[in-house]
Amino acid sequence: MKNKAAVAFVVVVAALIFAGLWALFAAYPMLPAAASKEAEFVDGAFNGLFWIEGAIYALVMAFMLYCLVQFRASSRAEQGAKFDRSRSRLVEVAWIGLSTMLTLGLAALGSHELHAVIGSPEADIDVEVRGQQFSWEFYYPKLQQYGDKLYLEVGKRHRIILTSKDVVHSFWVPEFRLKQDAVPGKVIHLLLTPTKVGDYMLICSELCGFGHTDMTASVAVVDHETFEKNLKSEF
Amino acid sequence: MKFAASLVSAALLFAAATFGLGRLMDVQAAAVLAYLASLLFFLHRIGGGAALAGWARGEEPPTGHGAGRFLSFDSDHKVVGVQYTGAALVVFIVAGIMALIMRAELAHHGLQLLTQQQYNTVMTLHGMGMVVVALIAIAGGIGNFVVPLQIGARDMAFPRMNALSFWLLPPAVLLLLSTPFLGGLDFGWTAYAPLSTKGATLGKLLFLLAFITAGFSSIFSGVNFIATVLSMRARGMGWRRVPIFTWSIVSASIIQLMGTSVVAASLIMVIFDRVLHTSFYNPELGGSVLLYQHLFWYYSHPAVYIMILPAFGAILEILPVFCRKPLFAYPLAAGSFLAIVALSFIVWAHHMFTSGMWMLLKLPFMINTELISIPTGVVFLAALGTLWKARMRLDSPMLWTLAMLANFLIGGLTGIPLADAPTDLHFQDTWFVVAHFHFTVMGGAIFGFFAAFHYWFPKMSGRRLDETLAKLHLGLMFAGFNAVFIPLFWLGAHGMRRRVSDFPAWMDPVQAFASAASLVVAASVVVFFYNVWRSLKRGEPAGDNPWEARTLEWTAPSPPPHGNFRSAPAVTEHPYHLGVAA
Repeated sequence: MKNKAAVAFVVVVAALIFAGLWALFAAYPMLPAAASKEAEFVDGAFNGLFWIEGAIYALVMAFMLYCLVQFRASSRAEQGAKFDRSRSRLVEVAWIGLSTMLTLGLAALGSHELHAVIGSPEADIDVEVRGQQFSWEFYYPKLQQYGDKLYLEVGKRHRIILTSKDVVHSFWVPEFRLKQDAVPGKVIHLLLTPTKVGDYMLICSELCGFGHTDMTASVAVVDHETFEKNLKSEF
Repeated sequence: MKFAASLVSAALLFAAATFGLGRLMDVQAAAVLAYLASLLFFLHRIGGGAALAGWARGEEPPTGHGAGRFLSFDSDHKVVGVQYTGAALVVFIVAGIMALIMRAELAHHGLQLLTQQQYNTVMTLHGMGMVVVALIAIAGGIGNFVVPLQIGARDMAFPRMNALSFWLLPPAVLLLLSTPFLGGLDFGWTAYAPLSTKGATLGKLLFLLAFITAGFSSIFSGVNFIATVLSMRARGMGWRRVPIFTWSIVSASIIQLMGTSVVAASLIMVIFDRVLHTSFYNPELGGSVLLYQHLFWYYSHPAVYIMILPAFGAILEILPVFCRKPLFAYPLAAGSFLAIVALSFIVWAHHMFTSGMWMLLKLPFMINTELISIPTGVVFLAALGTLWKARMRLDSPMLWTLAMLANFLIGGLTGIPLADAPTDLHFQDTWFVVAHFHFTVMGGAIFGFFAAFHYWFPKMSGRRLDETLAKLHLGLMFAGFNAVFIPLFWLGAHGMRRRVSDFPAWMDPVQAFASAASLVVAASVVVFFYNVWRSLKRGEPAGDNPWEARTLEWTAPSPPPHGNFRSAPAVTEHPYHLGVAA
């Protein structure tokens, strides 16, 4: 039976493609190291999607390769198989049913993860972050202090209160996996919980003018003592 | 030459009027008035005025003979199709050179060749230029040539309007090309307010005028296709016998008609904010910044389906012919195009997951966007089902089709992490997005265009392309394209933002690799143009039906004469009954 050979070919080749993808991304991880609580949810969602998609990619490519190998005309006189309406109906229904289920499943999973990423509106520390062409400004309302960089205390939940003085900017720290635009005329809250002490970069990721490339700032995630000391010693 | 003289004199009129009126009023207001006047002047000079007068007198639409007609206001749909194809290829070259300039700058960290201002301007023009190419190459170029033939019509429903939609494009392109000398562009092709309402440079204003002009061209073209296919199909061509390529063009045309006016309105409001100092987008005076983004993406997301639907149509047209069997699930494929059109208008805010819009809006837009993968999956079902038990002829159109499917598979799948709101928080505005849409727009729409071009070139020119060169072109472009863009996914995930001219030094090896690969893509385009030039001169004569297809365009002579068919064709069977009757 020819169809059995086809199934075997597709399964084996798809497994090989999938294994290749797996080896590649084991050697070169797709995402940089995570450094916030929210990043865990984002990474979980991405890894789930990535492997489902890897499987779909491998199966479709394996099927196309099988057809390319098996169904070539040896002469221009040859014609393809005739149309069999009864069997194709089944394929059509199965295909649409399966893709609908998969899509709704992904949508449900995405909604769930989105809820987890957003989390509660409660925060331990407020930071006002204001963007302007082409720099960032950080203000700690409780301490009534400006920071020369964005100091965040490890393990604490921060409310980033985002505003913009001129055009749209965007707050992004790749290790935190969170991005939020700063929009003129709006005050937008972004909640995040850094989990790893270290130095990071805040980079504007919404094109904001000719100097957009340079609109970066340092982020320091520090422990409680350093946080207090740094902000007190400024100015 | 009439074309060059008209364009130059209109440009001079524009410059003089802007300068003259600028002494009386704000120079931006002067430029808007001067542009409207010089655009009308250009359309009149090129022959639009005479065509209008001829219409009023009840004469036949204007058409000419010889090579000169390709640069004149000619209403024959085949001339318009060739004009669109030529224009798309010219803009493709210009915007492609800009891509190479960007890749040269990005080969190493730091700034080598360009200033930040120049980089932003080149990046914006590359984006806008390629958006125009992707919008017009198949729908405007191949669509205008093929659709009336495919449905057995003598011409389009509104031949003069067809010429008008093409002739609105050269002024738009000229405006875009003038912007680097008038202050440059800092805002990317999306021209987000308030970056686009601030900064009183003429360049930004001209960009907006060019966008609106191209938009009107697109609206006219959409109306024309819908009217043509609704009312001018051959006897016997019920909707179940309409070729799938025509279905795709009608679907894209619905979006052109319904979406483009919205983006035109949003840009006109930007011009009002700039020139009349209104405050549609100025929050200090009660305007809304997010309003612009909603209106912009209401069109500009569906616009990607204007690009990709004709490519889907073209490859599904090609597959049965080269597989020698009927198109699998043909009614479902046509239905999936319409489903994509319907869904395309309720997904736009997935571009705005990080914009600060109401949080709960993310949910419906995420779910709607993911629903589009169902009809897109049906397109793949039709393609893969047609491959099954085929007798494939691996001529160049078929190979381009397979390459397009392989690319678009990556493009489609990498769209899911962007449609998924939680993961998009990380990927939004990174090179992951850049790589994703290049896989759909270049890997999908442009590869689809080349598939269509190789398929219909014999009909358009009467000659065949050289198969060896066509395969060399494909091989180089496929390898080069994948080598440029696959690493970009990875860089984007690791912190490479969109639209920046510099990056951390550790990215150097990957960036240099992508830059080197971009030269392979450039080489493939050189091979393509050599092939076209050589084949036009001494290609093998094609005959009426070189691919043994069954749609009506192959019953006309190659190239078809004015009026297309000797007698009105009638349709008696399904277009894809290939291999069945034989």
